[in-house]
Formats: sequence, C-alpha cells, structure tokens
Amino acid sequence: MLIPSLHWPVHWSRRHKSSATIACAALLLLAALWFMAIPLAYAPSPIGEAADNFAQGTRVTVQLTLVSGLAGILIGVVAALGKTSRVLPLRWAATFYIWVIRGTPLLVQVLFVFLALPMIAPALQFSDFTSACIALAFNAGAYNAEALRSGLMAVPKGQVEAAQSLGLSRWFIFYDVVFPQAFKIALPSLVNNSVALLKDSSLAYAIGVVELTNVGNRIQAATFLPVPTLITTACIYLFLTTVLTHMSDAIERYYDVEGRLQ
Amino acid sequence: MSAAYSVPEHAFIRLMQVNKRFGDNHVLRDVSTHFEAGQVTAILGASGSGKSTLLRLLNRLERHDSGTIVVNDIEVNDSIQHLDVLRRDLGMVFQQFNLFPHLTALGNVTLALKRVRKTDATQADAQAMALLERVGMQAHAHKHPFALSGGQQQRIAIARALAMQPKAMLFDEPTSALDPEMVKEVLDVMKTLAQSGMTMIIVTHEMGFARDVADRILFLDQGQVVVDAPPHQFFSASSNARVQAFLGNSGQSGTV
Repeated sequence: MLIPSLHWPVHWSRRHKSSATIACAALLLLAALWFMAIPLAYAPSPIGEAADNFAQGTRVTVQLTLVSGLAGILIGVVAALGKTSRVLPLRWAATFYIWVIRGTPLLVQVLFVFLALPMIAPALQFSDFTSACIALAFNAGAYNAEALRSGLMAVPKGQVEAAQSLGLSRWFIFYDVVFPQAFKIALPSLVNNSVALLKDSSLAYAIGVVELTNVGNRIQAATFLPVPTLITTACIYLFLTTVLTHMSDAIERYYDVEGRLQ
Repeated sequence: MSAAYSVPEHAFIRLMQVNKRFGDNHVLRDVSTHFEAGQVTAILGASGSGKSTLLRLLNRLERHDSGTIVVNDIEVNDSIQHLDVLRRDLGMVFQQFNLFPHLTALGNVTLALKRVRKTDATQADAQAMALLERVGMQAHAHKHPFALSGGQQQRIAIARALAMQPKAMLFDEPTSALDPEMVKEVLDVMKTLAQSGMTMIIVTHEMGFARDVADRILFLDQGQVVVDAPPHQFFSASSNARVQAFLGNSGQSGTV
C-alpha cells in the first residue's frame, strides 16, 4: 500500500471520517497529477528525461477513467432499469446491449467505435480520445448494469409497498427508496468495475491515445530499456488503483449506517 | 353473510361482491362488507383465510379481480388520481415494519411529508418530531432502524403512516413479527390511537386486544366473512363451529 491507513479522531462521526478520507484521496490524486513530473525528473535515465511524458500520460489515463467511469455508471443505471422494466421492448434492448458488450472483447469495441462507426455513419466520427471514452463508457455500463440490477432485485418488495402506501409517486419511490438501497448493495461491484476500467483504459493505446501505457511503450521502444519503463508504468497504475480503492472504501463506509465494516 | 348482505351507501369503505384469486387459489369469494368512519374493526381468521389480502385490496397493493371497492367515495381502480387520493387517505402498517433502512427514524417519517405534501424541511421535521413523541420515540429520532428493537421500529412505522394524516389506518398483523415483550408497547400505541377516534382496520392474532379495543370483529374463513359481530358477542356465544375451532386453537375461549 502506498498510502497508510488514515486514522481520524475517534469522536468524528462515520460520515465525517469517510468524507475526510475521500477529500484526502482526491487531493492526493490531484497533487500527483499536477506535480508528479517534479520528483520523476530526478529518477535515473530513461525515466528522468521522460518525466513530463509520464505525467501527461497519467493525466490522460485519469481523464479517460473519470469520464467513462461516470458515464458508465449513468449508462449502467439506464440499462439496469431497462433490464428490470415491465416493458418488453426495453427489456429486450437492455438485454441485447449487455449481451453484445459482455460477449465481445473491449479491444474490438474500441477499434469499432474509432474505425467502423464513421464508416457506418459519418456523423459519428470522433477523436481518438472521445472514441476511447465512448467505448469504455459503454463497456463499463454493461457490467455496471448487471451489478445494479442485482442491487435492484435485492431490495425487498415490502420497501416498495411501504412507499406506495405512503402515496409516493413512482419517481420518488425509485429516487428516495429503491435506488439508494440498490446502489449500496451494488457498490462493491461498481468499485470493482471502476478499478478494472482504470486498467482497461490502457486499450485506448490501440487507437493512438497517448495515455500511460502508450507513453511507457513508446519510451521502452525508443530506449530499448523495457525494465525501468514498464516498472515505472506499472507503479503509476498501482498508485492510481490504490487511491481509487481508498476512495471507494470510504464511499462504502459513508453508506454503512449499520457499522458492519470494520 | 353472502349476497344478501346490503352495504350501506354512506359507509366510509365499501366492498361489494369482491373476488380475488392468486392462480387457482380463490382467496376472497364474493366478499361484501363495509367499514364506518371512527370504527375499530379487527379482522380475525386462520392463516390463508384471506384477511391480509382483504386489507391490501383497500389501498391497491393487490388488485381485486371482480366486484367494487369504494373508499371515501372514490372507487379503487387503476386511475392514478384515484390511487393518489386513496393512499393519502389510508395509512398502512406492515407485519415486517418495512422501515426504510437507509433513513433515520425522523427521515422515515418526514419522507412522505416532503415528497407528497411538499412540506418544507423545518416544518416537516417539527411535525415528525411531534408524531415520534406521540409514539414515545422522540429520543430515538436520529437513529437508523437497525439500531432499534422491533417494537420501536413498529412504533416509528405507525408514526410514519400517521404523518400523512390518513382518514383510516390499516394494520396488517402489526405485532406478529415481534418478540412477546415488545407486543405490548405497540398495542398500547394502537389503543391510544383507537381512543382518539381513528378509523382502524386491524388484521391480528391478538385476541385480547381485539376483544378490548375493537368495536367489531370480522371473522374470515376460506375467503368469506363468516361472522360480523361486536366482540362481546363474538367471544361469548359464537355458535359457529369454525369460530369455536379457531378460538380453541388460539388458546382463547369466551370465558377468559
């Protein structure tokens, strides 16, 4: 672990501790993104000379992950609702989407969005970065949909009945009662998917996005020094996934009203 | 007690020739009955006799297959406007409490106030605190349901239903999931509520409570109302063999 466990004052509430951890992790991430080139510049050759490239690649990787991660959760919510819908065509559409995405390699999906989509409809021509975001978002969305669906199914029927008997509208039943509970159940799987997404964003390299893996690969190809470059690349990924895991643990704790997590 | 029964036109809740089937299971058979405003009715019967289903038809948690149900002059059907008014008029308390686990006691009570009545937050909190006080739970307002006993949860569930200022309260076996020592605290709250003049329909197995608090006993057997009588009559001189068997099984007889 790169980050030691954070020990907040005992008298702080669970929510305060969680919020503080999330804030710290976010600050650490931002600081790393802004300033990582400075310490990296002192690293021995060939890393030192390429410090700025590594920093830039890391920023692109984080951008890819953030954009497609957030979009992936929205898509996941929509697809999960579609799959649990009473309207048959919606259920078909969601099932078809999840089936196609989970049954094909992400690399093919990335290539498809970048190369094949513009051939089918010229309006759908996007930059390499946008194409990667779209492919990653829809890929994460399919996996998130399954996680959220199992969360939706796990909310007891009595919860909906209680909300109905209070006269809540269907929207508020979903927004105030069902979704918060389903999201909490789905959270560990969503975190898993997001960590996977961070690593999978390396496939954007195939369409020329200059993200972290691409940077590492270019430097090792130019210097014939694969060992230090790939170790550096791997260490940066490890740092990012560690920060992400800390954040998501804190989010889980934030919603853990029962105090089940130790 | 079948088709001959004539439902008074002015009654608060009226059921006419109501049928409900779950697949092959004919749960309610041509049930006609009514509930007056201000009246406390206990619905008794063996499990599977259709008493919970009867209750759940009233606020349309279940749909009836045929017949007519009218609540406060509004027909119970699929109309969204009807459902909105209907569910505002009828509060419901469940066997499993069904509190929202992610909200505090206060949050449970204020949710519908904020979302349905559009009460602003401070006012909703004040109203909810008053209700929690009424059920003796004001000290636990900021606790989540998991930290409360079953009896405490059920009292909050009663406060939550009361928040919408319903015209009648439906209780679906409110004490059946409780440990014996917690039954009393819930029944006490319900007794106070009955004394305040609330219209109540209570599906229960608590014979003592039914006899002491209810104005009227409705005894269901195999989906039909078999006895409709005041408690003293029901518990003393019931000539009905099924009632005798039922009371015998539940360890109650007319003389206790």
